Amino acid sequence: MKKYDIKSTDKETLRKWYYLMTLGRMIDEKAPAYLLQSLGWSFHAPYAGHDGIQLAMGQVFTRGEDFFFPYYRDLLAALSAGMTAEEIILNGLSKATDLTSGGRHMSNHFAKMEWNIQNISSATATQDLHAVGVARAMAYYGHKGVVIASHGESSVSEGFVYEAINGASTEQLPVIFVIEDNGFGISVPKKDQTSNPKVAANFSGFKNLKIIYCNGKDVFDSMNAMAEAREYAITKHNPVIVHANCVRIGSHSNSDKHTLYRDEDELAYVKAADPLQKFRRMLLRYERFTEDELKKIEEEAKKELSAANKRAIAAPDPDASTVLDYVLPEPYKPKVYVDGTHNQEGEKKNMVTAINETLKAEFRHNPDTFLWGQDVANKDKGGVFNVTKGMQQEFGVKRVFNAPIAEDYIVGTANGMSRFDPKIRIVIEGAEFADYFWPAVEQYVECTHEYWRSNGQFVPNITLRLASGGYIGGGLYHSQTLEGALTTLPGARIVYPSFADDAAGLLRTSLRSKGFTLYLEPKAQYNAVEAATVVPDDFEVPFGKARIRREGTDLSIITYGNTTHFCLTVADRLAKEFGWNVEVMDLRSLIPLDKEAIFESVKKTSKALIVHEDKVFSGFGAEIAAMIGEEMFRYLDAPVQRVGSIFTPVGFHPNFEKAILPGEERIYKAAKSLLEY
Amino acid sequence: MKKIGLFYGASTKKTAAIAQQIQEAFGEADLEIVPIESAWKKEFLTYNYLIVGTSTWFDGELPTYWDEIIPELTSLELQDKKVAIFGLGDQINYPDNFVDGIGLLADAFEIAGAQLVGLTSADGYSFNHSQALKDGKFLGLALDVENQPKQTEKRIHDWVEQLRKEFS
Repeated sequence: MKKYDIKSTDKETLRKWYYLMTLGRMIDEKAPAYLLQSLGWSFHAPYAGHDGIQLAMGQVFTRGEDFFFPYYRDLLAALSAGMTAEEIILNGLSKATDLTSGGRHMSNHFAKMEWNIQNISSATATQDLHAVGVARAMAYYGHKGVVIASHGESSVSEGFVYEAINGASTEQLPVIFVIEDNGFGISVPKKDQTSNPKVAANFSGFKNLKIIYCNGKDVFDSMNAMAEAREYAITKHNPVIVHANCVRIGSHSNSDKHTLYRDEDELAYVKAADPLQKFRRMLLRYERFTEDELKKIEEEAKKELSAANKRAIAAPDPDASTVLDYVLPEPYKPKVYVDGTHNQEGEKKNMVTAINETLKAEFRHNPDTFLWGQDVANKDKGGVFNVTKGMQQEFGVKRVFNAPIAEDYIVGTANGMSRFDPKIRIVIEGAEFADYFWPAVEQYVECTHEYWRSNGQFVPNITLRLASGGYIGGGLYHSQTLEGALTTLPGARIVYPSFADDAAGLLRTSLRSKGFTLYLEPKAQYNAVEAATVVPDDFEVPFGKARIRREGTDLSIITYGNTTHFCLTVADRLAKEFGWNVEVMDLRSLIPLDKEAIFESVKKTSKALIVHEDKVFSGFGAEIAAMIGEEMFRYLDAPVQRVGSIFTPVGFHPNFEKAILPGEERIYKAAKSLLEY
Repeated sequence: MKKIGLFYGASTKKTAAIAQQIQEAFGEADLEIVPIESAWKKEFLTYNYLIVGTSTWFDGELPTYWDEIIPELTSLELQDKKVAIFGLGDQINYPDNFVDGIGLLADAFEIAGAQLVGLTSADGYSFNHSQALKDGKFLGLALDVENQPKQTEKRIHDWVEQLRKEFS
């Protein structure tokens, strides 16, 4: 027995639906007018033709229990979930009081974080991974509810959608993936996307997954499908795909002209299937409403739109002086080791032990900590380098577990799980080796955007660990270091320790901080004697605090990671051979960068050599060199020099590796040349 | 022979053209045309024999003019009625939902208790999937005027002859 139909659904419910659909369509049709008047809403993706399923998603969404990830075409869904016309227009006009982002995010992205209507990317369907992450938290904390994530059929071609559905099926999580199938990805017809006309059929072999097909243009069919999906997801603890057949009556967006690729017959055909008109005809034909009653509802909607419009237009615009707000949240501030140094004596520990013990200590300290990644937890194996050894045994399979070989999934679900509760702290091994992290870069970007894009309403609390760098004979795919590529993205802290104590201290600080931290581990140092140090049990290192590992007055070598050790050896050699006193600064944090310490050192020595493992060309050292050149030029007695990899991949044969990665000889030569300048 | 009601969308072109051919084959006197846009309980109860025509929209849906009356249709008691369905489809461009409309209407009329007649062989067609197919037979007359136009006239003629017998 279907729950909803035209004959038995109560009149008040029908009235509410017709009101929402009418109001939604009025806003949908008015949106382009704002652009014509130069008031904003420059991106608008009309939803007309998706009315049934969007109404149903919003009606089924249960505030206080569910999370909802609407995509950029889901105007009616947001309205139906409870957002007001004014809130919708505030977003469209990018006002300071826009609930999504205060005007930071593109228009037509509707969110209300306090109700768990989530702020999502324009890279549509990336939110599927976030939905799975939230559902994982719901399962862990025993929360009754579902996560609804929606998008078009074309984005199902993306690999991360497969990853999300596969993961929800494997982990048996209550996610409803709604596919709003309107037949087009902008201009690309769906036959060019996949072979099945109903893309949900591609997932028919997935265990634990229910697939419900519905007519997304029909209110009742959509309501029944969504109600069934929610009940199934909650009672069976399993995911559901709701495939809703829709039509796109308008263009993809206001920058698209669909008459370039759609003919008149097709446009007339989809217009004839207009869901709002169909619903209206049915209300009359089945004598549920009279023409006068419907006109009265339409008048009420018109009045609400008019009032909302006036208020939204009068709302304040964003203040550009706030542009630097919410790039990064305030970090945890160490209380004992304020500058991240110590003088403790005792037994030295290698870096892998320091990281392992710190992780365990922090997991004991905070029960809302989780760790996952590839290979991190299978009996006695704890990661490719055994960094997480023993953690699953101590903290259980629900807090420490393996992830599929899907890097985007690892990062995206961490982002999602963070959304459930700000108390959660997540550690992920982003990939087996940093070299394999590239598929996850899209989700990395999302993590960097969240805080700023949500106007400070949400930040993922993630420590992303990557075994990085070369010097192990690993060749092209076991030697990469990614900081050159990733430091250009605002919104992540990036740290790169060289020694065991700093590795422990930075990790502890990261796990106690709000926000997203990329934690790069120089894997060549995991078991290296030279990186082993005494590590105080409670050691902490603040972000953005460099450490002078060797004091000097003749030259500043600024470095981090693997090359710190080479630089220290070279400094000792130069002192021994020539009596030069070289200062070696280990940056430890790249973002935030300890500019003050760099400038202090350069002011003192008047010469700067920047050394890192990454390529010289466009490497992170270029930024430091430019900074010194721009702001410290008057203190310099010689041009700033850089040493790093040559501009090739890292070759496998030792002869290649030696020729490519910077080593002591290259650093020695550059330092000596600078000292003699 | 008692009067037969011929139901189809009055605003259609191809379906209407087929309906006209069916009417001619039967002889105009025996058939009354009923626009589906205005059909309701009374119209369905008027005739003992119904011929209903539909196309298939999108990925296997009924056109709105049919879809909108399904709740009414399925609530009727049509136990004493015989219903024959014809449907238009395109085997080449929509092979995954060829004449699904026939199957969807068949479901609705069966819920209402009507007896389906005019079932036809699926031989001579090539498609992947159809909701109109049951036990190897179409639940009505499947026509493909796009790809098999030359066969349409004979298919209609044969079907009408079949209905003359089954309607008696």
